[in-house]
Amino acid sequence: MQHAYPPIETIKQGYADLVHVQSWPLIATKQASVLASDWVIFTMAGLAVFLLLVVLIVFPLVRWRARAGQAEPPQFKNNPPLEITWTVIPIVLVMGLFVYSFQAEARVDATAIHPAVTVHVNAYRWGWTFRYEGGPSIGGATTGPILGTPFAKPPELVLPLGETTHIELTSSDVDHSFWVPDFLFKRDAIPGQMSSFDLQPDKLGSFVGRCAQFCGLDHALMTFTVRVVSPDDYTRWLKGAKNS
Amino acid sequence: MSALAEPETHPAPYHDLLSWITTTDHKRIGILYLVTSLLYFAVAGSLSLVIRTQLARPDNHIVSANTYAQLFTLHGTAMIFLFVAPFAFGLANFLIPLQIGAPDMAFPRLNATSYWMFLFGGLIVFAGAGANGGAAAAGWSSYAPLSEIKVGTGIGQDLWIVGVFMVSIATILTSINFVTTVFIYRAPGMTMWRIPIFTWEMVATSLLVFMAFPSLAAALILLFVDRHFGGHAFDPAYGGNAVLWDHLFWFFGHPEVYVMILPYFGVISEIIPVFSRKPIFGYLGLVLAAFAIAGLSMGVWAHHMFTTGAVNNPFFSFVSFLIAVPTGVKFFNWIATMWRGQIRFATPMLFSIGFLLNFLLGGVTGVMVASPPLDYQAHDSYFVIAHFHYTLGGGSLFAIFAAMFFWWPKMFGVKLNERLGAWCFWLLFIGFNVTFFPMHLMGIDGMPRRVFTYASTGPLPDLNLIATAGSYTMLAGVILFAWNVLVSGLHHAPVGDDPWEANSLEWATSSPPPEHNFTKLPPIRSERPVWDLRHASAARNTAP
Repeated sequence: MQHAYPPIETIKQGYADLVHVQSWPLIATKQASVLASDWVIFTMAGLAVFLLLVVLIVFPLVRWRARAGQAEPPQFKNNPPLEITWTVIPIVLVMGLFVYSFQAEARVDATAIHPAVTVHVNAYRWGWTFRYEGGPSIGGATTGPILGTPFAKPPELVLPLGETTHIELTSSDVDHSFWVPDFLFKRDAIPGQMSSFDLQPDKLGSFVGRCAQFCGLDHALMTFTVRVVSPDDYTRWLKGAKNS
Repeated sequence: MSALAEPETHPAPYHDLLSWITTTDHKRIGILYLVTSLLYFAVAGSLSLVIRTQLARPDNHIVSANTYAQLFTLHGTAMIFLFVAPFAFGLANFLIPLQIGAPDMAFPRLNATSYWMFLFGGLIVFAGAGANGGAAAAGWSSYAPLSEIKVGTGIGQDLWIVGVFMVSIATILTSINFVTTVFIYRAPGMTMWRIPIFTWEMVATSLLVFMAFPSLAAALILLFVDRHFGGHAFDPAYGGNAVLWDHLFWFFGHPEVYVMILPYFGVISEIIPVFSRKPIFGYLGLVLAAFAIAGLSMGVWAHHMFTTGAVNNPFFSFVSFLIAVPTGVKFFNWIATMWRGQIRFATPMLFSIGFLLNFLLGGVTGVMVASPPLDYQAHDSYFVIAHFHYTLGGGSLFAIFAAMFFWWPKMFGVKLNERLGAWCFWLLFIGFNVTFFPMHLMGIDGMPRRVFTYASTGPLPDLNLIATAGSYTMLAGVILFAWNVLVSGLHHAPVGDDPWEANSLEWATSSPPPEHNFTKLPPIRSERPVWDLRHASAARNTAP
C-alpha cells in the first residue's frame, strides 16, 4: 500500500514532539479493566512467592554462617514427604493462576456479534491505514522519505466512547503489532492473516499507539493516535471525514 | 591435598600455540571454548553499552537507526549463540570426563570439529559488520518476512544465516559427544545415580539440543532458499506463511532458553553443597526436575506468540505455568542444601547466591508473562527484556562467574584473588539490578523493544538514565574481573588438588589435570567420591 508523502517542510526534525507523552497506563477500555486485574493478581502472587523465597534463601546464610572450629554439619540428603509437599503446593498454585488467567483471556478475546463500528486496520512500513466499514479510509505514513525522520502528525484512529469497535487487523508487508499501552493490549499484524478483536473505550482522550514488533529501521517511529470521542462527536466526525 | 599419588605425565605447556590448534584433548578444547565465548561476551557486552548510551536520553544521536538495529541484532545473537550456550559447552568439555572418571570425550576429533565450527560460525556472523550494507539487522530472532527483504538487510543477513547455521551444527555435534561420553565412558563404580548433577544437567541439555536445533537449522535453510533461490516458505503473497517462521524458530528458541540455563542449574548444584559443607539435597528430585523441565520446554514455544492470534493460547499458557513447578523444586533443593550447613562466603558462593536471587525474580516474571492477558501488554516490550535478562544475565551470567572462580584452580592451578572477586560480585550484582529492574517499569509504561528512541516526557527518560548508569557499573565489575585474571596469573601460587574441599571426581586429580586425567582413581562408592576419600584419609590419620 503506497501513500504519497506530504511536503518535506511538514517533516519535523527530532522525535521529541512526535513520540507523545507516555505515563503510567490509563486503563482506558472495558477490556483493559480485566487486563489490569490480571496484572494485579499476578503481581501480588508473584510478590508473595518472591518475598517468601528471599526469606528462605537469606535465612540460612545468616543463621548458619561458618565459624572457626565447628564440627561437620549434619549430612542429611533427602526428605521425601517434604519434597512431595513442595512439588504439590506449587502445582495447585499455578493451576489456580491458570484458571484465573484463562477466564480473563476469554473475557478480553470475546467479540460482539453486532459491533457498533468496524475498522479494518492495515499496518505497513511505516504507517497505518484505518478503513471504517461504510465510511472513510484514513491513514498515512508516520515517517518521512528520509529514514529516521518522523512526520509532524501520525495517523489517527477515532473511536466512539462506550461503544464496541471491532478491529480487523492485517499487514501488507512484514510483521507489525498494534499496541496501545493505555489499553494494556496489543495484537500482531501479520501479512496474509486477518486477526480480529474488540475495543470498548471507556475514557475520553487521545492515546498513543505504537508498533511493537520490530519491522525495520523506522520501527521506533511507527506510531498512531487513538482519539476517543463521545458518540455524537463521532457521528459528526464521520460525516465530515474524508479519505486520506 | 588428596591421598592420591602425584600423576607422572604432564601436558604440553600452555604457551605452546601449535599444541592448542592441533589439540583433541577435552580439557584444552574446553578452555578454547571458554576463552572464545568470553571474547564474544566482551564484544556483545560492548555492543550493549553502545545501546545503553544511545538510550540514555530520548533524543540521542550516538548511532543511526541502521547501526542501532545491527547493534541489538549482534548483541542478542552473540550473547545467545556465541556466549551463554558455548560457555556451558566449554565447561562441560572440561568437566564431564573428569567428573565421570574418563580419559577424554568419546569422539575427540569430532569435539575439535565442533569447536572450530563454533569459532568460525561466530566470526562469519560478525564479518557482516564489514560488509556492504552492514551486519544483519533483523533481530536475533530474525523474523520472516522482514529478514527476507534483500534491500536494507543485505549480505549481512546472509552471513548471519550461514554463521548461525554453522554454530547450530557445532552444537548438535558437541551434544552427541556429551551424551555418548556420559553413557559409555564412566569409570568403574560411577553408576548413573552417582554422576554429578552438572553432568546430569548436561545430559538433559544435550537431549534438548537434539530436539530443538534441527528445527533452527531447517528454518535457516528455508530462509536462505527464500532469499536466493525463489522459495516462498514465509512469503504469504505466494502461498507461504509468515507465522511458520515463528513456529519453527520458537520450536527451537524456547528449548534453547533451557539449553542456556540447565547447565548453570548444574553449576549451582555443584557449588552450593561445597560451600555449605553438606551433600546436595534431593539428588533424585534435582535430576527428575531437570528432565521435567526439558520435557515440558518442548511444549511451550508458542508462548512467544500469544499476541499473534494464530495459536491456542490456553494450551501453551498451561504448559508454561507447569514448567515453574520443577524449577521451584530446584530452588527448594538448593535452599535445603544450605539449611543447617556451614556457609562459607567464598566468591563462587557469592555469585551462586546472586544467581538464586536474580533468577528468582526472572522466574516470577516468567510466570507472569505465561498469562496471555498479561502478555498482551508485556510482549515485545521492555518488560520481557527485563524478564529474560533476569534469567540469562542475572541467572546464567552469575553462574558463569561462579563457575570461573570455582573451577579456575582446577584449570590453571592458581586461585583467583578472593577480595577482588568479592568486589567484582558486588559491582555486578548492584549494576545488574540497577540496569534491569527499571526495565519492568519501562515495559508497562509502553516502551517497545528494539527502538532507538522513546517518549521524551513521562517516566521513561529517568528510568532509561538509571538503567544506563547500572550498565556502566557492570562494566566496572567486568574490568575488575579481567584485572583479577592478570593479577592472579602473575602471582603464581599453586593451590593443590582440592582447594575448596569439594565433592566430585575432578578434585581427585592434580590441578591442572594430566593429559589423560587420572593416573589413579579413588574408589567410587557414592555421588561424593572426593568427600569419601577425604574422610577415609582423615579416619586413617586419626586411627590409633
